[in-house]
Amino acid sequence: MGRLRRLQPRPLGRREALAGFLFVSPWLFALVVFHVYPIVAATYLSFSDYSVFTPPEFVGGDNYVKLLDDPTVWRAAGNSLFYALLSVPIGLAASLVLALLLNRPVRGIGIHRTFFYMPAVVPPVAGTIVFLLLLEPRAGPLNTAIETVGLDGPAWFQDPAFAKWGLIILSLWGVGAGTLIFLAGLQEIPESLLEAASIDGAGAWRRFRHVTFPLLTPVILFNLVIGVIYSFQVFDAAMIVGGTSGVPAGSTLMYMVHIYRTAFGYFDMGYASAQAMVLFLVIVAVTGAIFGTTRRWVYEGV
Amino acid sequence: MPMIMSRRRFLQLMGMSGAAVVLGACGADEVAETTAAPATTAGTAAPTTTAAPAPVSIDFWLPGGSDPFCQGFELVADSFAGSGSGVTVEEVLCGVADDEDFNERLLANLAAGTPPDAVIIWDPPVIMASLGALEPLDGLMAASKNSKVENWPEGTLASCRWDGQIFGLPATASSYAIFYNEELLESKGIPSGRDDFPKTWDDLKALSAEFVQWDGDTLVSAGFIPPYDAIESAIWSATNGGVLYDADAQQVRLNSDENIEMLDYAVQWLNEQYKGDWVAMDASGNYLGGGYVDELGRPPAFQSGHHMALVGGFWVAADMYSSELVGWERWNVAEFPVGPSGTSTASGFWPNWCAIPKGSANPEAAFAWLDYLVVEGMRTWFAQVPDIPTNRLAPTDLFPQSVADVRGDEFATDITQFFKAQLDVAAPMWTCPVQNFLHDQVSTAISAAMLKQLTPKEALTVAQEATQAELDSLLAG
Repeated sequence: MGRLRRLQPRPLGRREALAGFLFVSPWLFALVVFHVYPIVAATYLSFSDYSVFTPPEFVGGDNYVKLLDDPTVWRAAGNSLFYALLSVPIGLAASLVLALLLNRPVRGIGIHRTFFYMPAVVPPVAGTIVFLLLLEPRAGPLNTAIETVGLDGPAWFQDPAFAKWGLIILSLWGVGAGTLIFLAGLQEIPESLLEAASIDGAGAWRRFRHVTFPLLTPVILFNLVIGVIYSFQVFDAAMIVGGTSGVPAGSTLMYMVHIYRTAFGYFDMGYASAQAMVLFLVIVAVTGAIFGTTRRWVYEGV
Repeated sequence: MPMIMSRRRFLQLMGMSGAAVVLGACGADEVAETTAAPATTAGTAAPTTTAAPAPVSIDFWLPGGSDPFCQGFELVADSFAGSGSGVTVEEVLCGVADDEDFNERLLANLAAGTPPDAVIIWDPPVIMASLGALEPLDGLMAASKNSKVENWPEGTLASCRWDGQIFGLPATASSYAIFYNEELLESKGIPSGRDDFPKTWDDLKALSAEFVQWDGDTLVSAGFIPPYDAIESAIWSATNGGVLYDADAQQVRLNSDENIEMLDYAVQWLNEQYKGDWVAMDASGNYLGGGYVDELGRPPAFQSGHHMALVGGFWVAADMYSSELVGWERWNVAEFPVGPSGTSTASGFWPNWCAIPKGSANPEAAFAWLDYLVVEGMRTWFAQVPDIPTNRLAPTDLFPQSVADVRGDEFATDITQFFKAQLDVAAPMWTCPVQNFLHDQVSTAISAAMLKQLTPKEALTVAQEATQAELDSLLAG
């Protein structure tokens, strides 16, 4: 077999390549300046003592050692983990159910879809305040509804045992975005497969279990990964509900809030960068672990 | 012949235009720097604040506030421009965008070397000073018309002292007092005069018991809620003979005997009058909102007439008649009572601190503005949003009009003077270089004790160890 001749780009091709690079250069510029540089800078700063006001001073792994021994970090990490473990599956289930409902050919379905998506574009602060009112312990609509069945609703954001649950309920406010993605996935499922299953005698549940669900698994994977990333980064709601001390009794102190207060409240950018790098690595690891399982449950094509 | 522009030529032109814009932007800064008044070392210079050598424009930033608050600074800036100082406040930045934090923006500009000339900050100057972010003001103060050291109450100025120098001006400092409902007291035949109000914690607790009423698990009426706020804990500590932080020794004192006794006392109070159930009390109504609608949208229990007394700053007095008082009208203020280990009353304060960031292009001009703001500007500031002026040369005939409209000028003047006097007995506050850390730790400790997760001693010891470690780390660095 003859040696392959190395392909030389034609002058016109080189010019076109250059033009292509120039056209994508704004995006590349933004990528480097707003993503690559901050990651590199944060990595460096995580090994330094830095308060913004004076130049960073290299301190090796001190910030990481401090982090391991900081009970507040562990508490915040525990709160975030609890939140992620519950809010992600609950959010996935809720958005899938909603998507299935919104995939029905009923009158005015477009309006319904719009309504369910609208919360996703409401500013998070406004959404959180609405939920604070909904979860008001004595006269809030949720507890009033609970009372109608003879139970006492909890003091959602006053009781440390329930405050994180309040935040998890609040996270459902944004399921519209996931719903929209599920809806797109549902509409990609070939009708012929569902019809074939019906002809074979499959009922609604079996069609969902053996046709719809497997074909939706790539979308579930996407929503799962995005959901995990977002849940570890929950900030607005936790900050509004619990402030920088995570009231009540630190129960709403999420990891991102702790990073924020370390950086902009305590002005310890180096330590905050170390915390951020750990969060980044944890998210990378969890995402990698999720991708590692995909061969077992994600169906890759019809 | 028509001119044809190739794609390549188009891209070249775009690139050149972009480069020109970038260079132009850099050049503009350079021009601005060369036309600005020459900067000197603010801490050592002793310039006059009454005459600047050439017209200078400065930028002034503050964290935000209500519309009247922000507008007030525009008005003061206008009058300052006409004062003949030769300095104009070109930009008043009052708050940042909703998705931005003031500290983020300020830090970014400090890091970039483009800080504003002068700022109002809501973090104690000692924090930023300890990190080298502020200009020392001693020299400028000494040469100033209004801001000489002796013109400030030492207690409030202490919040600006770090390492033997002064890094801020506590322009206003609303002090704290206990607000009480005169009509509720009189309805039970209890004398309602200020001098009759309890002078000890025991007496206040006894008075509180008269008004506590539960309906099942719902608190329908409260007397006084035992100390629970992290900021106010400095005051309660002082009335019990303690401190949270000893600035002279640079030692955190959260788990001192006086402070453990203070938190123990609060928990006992909770047990005796509020069923020991912080959650039920908090869920029953807005007893902890400090006299304002809380985050759950609940009206304040005090204004609603079922909360006998609460702690509040002067701002509560100024806002009292802005909200609806349900079924009553007469309230008054009293001093903090003294704890079992204390010997005298104390108060606290929450300032608006003026400062000059390190790297300010015009520190002298900026100080001229601040010097004007803290005295001549106070009448406008107070008219927009009443707050206690701290400087001794500031107008003394101010009172909140909203109070005068309902209760008359005499009462409005009386309470204003009362709050002003409280600054003289203010507890040491805001003096810790890790103040925000300390605040978060105290908040968590109080919460843990009230919710019975930890004993007061355990909770304060956890907070003590964490805060002292943070402080040691800062001091070592």
